[in-house]
Amino acid sequence: MLDLLAYDFMQRSLLAAAMVGGLCSVIGVFVVLRGLAFVGAGTSHAAFAGVTLGYLMGWPPLLLAIVFGLATVWITGWVEERGRMKLDVSIGILYTATMALGILFIGLMKNYNAEVYGYLFGSVLSVTPEELSVIGALTVLVLGLLLLFSKELYFIAFDQEMAEASGVPARQIFFLLLTLVALTVVVSLKTVGAILVFAMILIPASTAYQLTHSLATLTLYSATIGIFTSIVGVLISAFWDVPSGPAIVLLATTIFFIAVFFSPKRERRTRLVHTH
Amino acid sequence: MLDPREPIIRFEHASFGFPGLIALKDISLAIYEGEFIGVIGPNGSGKTTLCRAVLGLLAPVEGHLHIFDCACNELRCHHRAKIGYLPQKGVVDRNFPVTVLETVMMGRYGALGLFKRPGKKDRDIAQEALAQVGMASHKNHALGQLSGGQQQRVFIARALAQQPKVLILDEPTTGLDITAQHNVIELVQQLHDELKLTVLLITHDINMIRSRVDRLVLLKTRLFAAAPPAEVLKPEILHQVYGKDLVITEKDLVIVEDYHHHH
Repeated sequence: MLDLLAYDFMQRSLLAAAMVGGLCSVIGVFVVLRGLAFVGAGTSHAAFAGVTLGYLMGWPPLLLAIVFGLATVWITGWVEERGRMKLDVSIGILYTATMALGILFIGLMKNYNAEVYGYLFGSVLSVTPEELSVIGALTVLVLGLLLLFSKELYFIAFDQEMAEASGVPARQIFFLLLTLVALTVVVSLKTVGAILVFAMILIPASTAYQLTHSLATLTLYSATIGIFTSIVGVLISAFWDVPSGPAIVLLATTIFFIAVFFSPKRERRTRLVHTH
Repeated sequence: MLDPREPIIRFEHASFGFPGLIALKDISLAIYEGEFIGVIGPNGSGKTTLCRAVLGLLAPVEGHLHIFDCACNELRCHHRAKIGYLPQKGVVDRNFPVTVLETVMMGRYGALGLFKRPGKKDRDIAQEALAQVGMASHKNHALGQLSGGQQQRVFIARALAQQPKVLILDEPTTGLDITAQHNVIELVQQLHDELKLTVLLITHDINMIRSRVDRLVLLKTRLFAAAPPAEVLKPEILHQVYGKDLVITEKDLVIVEDYHHHH
């Protein structure tokens, strides 16, 4: 196993996985707490449609992924704010419509393109040095913004109207969060893929949610779980020659169920039931 | 107005709502610094809209609303931070993973402004606010583990951490047992007296506040009265708003038939 670590590609993929794992799990805290889980799923499929259009037209795929991702989250946020329709309806429509676009674009391609499928299912072991630097730059940008606006983001996740009422520019912070979700999805496309990135956002934060009652601790636990599962997932993937995305996500899912089982919150609920 | 003081909140023929749905119509009302105001009226009478308006979350569709001598739709963040707000129960997810101190610290965020991180001074303010509501010893507890009455105290502490001039409480006693209801109202009275806060308390329970407030504001889309309780709590005035739901017993206790709980 140690021999593997000597390879450049292995070092790159571990670094990429750690960054993506950390990023997804930190933004996941705000996504889970603000109830935007489904938005993450919709965005990843929209971003994938952007990638397919990029390959079809010969344009930079990640750039189009960003455009598609941002368009989806902004439309979703705008619709929610207007109260025109429920969030799950609007994102459900955008989710399937962009997926249909993606399939359409793939259908229009003259040749079979394996790279496109890499974006769907993730292939962290094939991350190039250029992709690694893009991932690195976007990770620093998104984490930096999350840190800079963390107190406002926590507040709107807790209660957006209350935040606005006490002088926080809540609407702008909400759109910032949506934007950062879209960027996170794009960063993660190459490593875990459009289908599984959603799990990377959702699972570490939900696991941490089982284990603590403090916002600060929740974020710390989530990041630790995200980075740990990503690195170990990549090692499992390389060692046993299984796809990296599923290895990471299934490992994270296992930890999630262990956390649910041993959750102090669950114990307390059980006790409450017994005493009443 | 006979009052020589400048009002802290001033509605001038202000209407609120959306086109086709007017929640409050033609409200003219001046609230002065240090007043304890009870806001009463049946469900859907615009009580919460009045709160949201004062919070600057809602601009008037007609007329004007001035808060701290600043038009509501131009209300800046530092003005909003001077209004502490306890939202109606149920608006907030009470199982959110947050500690008591973290909750109260949020009260500092708006006042701090963007880019500034809360420091020791903010933690001191938050702890003092917790002490004022008698919850200092619970600061590291999970919010979700507290009783309803304790949670209300924590949310009041969060409002106090803003170091507000005005405190708005939207039905703070709903869903609490009788003892907790009295404790919360007692606490609000005490904060009003000690911190000289201007208080707007929205409630269904007229009996609980009638002896405490300076004035009662009676709403049902329009403003029906804004006067000391003795002048407002008269059958002929209350009947206009509550109609047949009003029952007055021999002891002159005003009982309003409670159809509000059928949400």
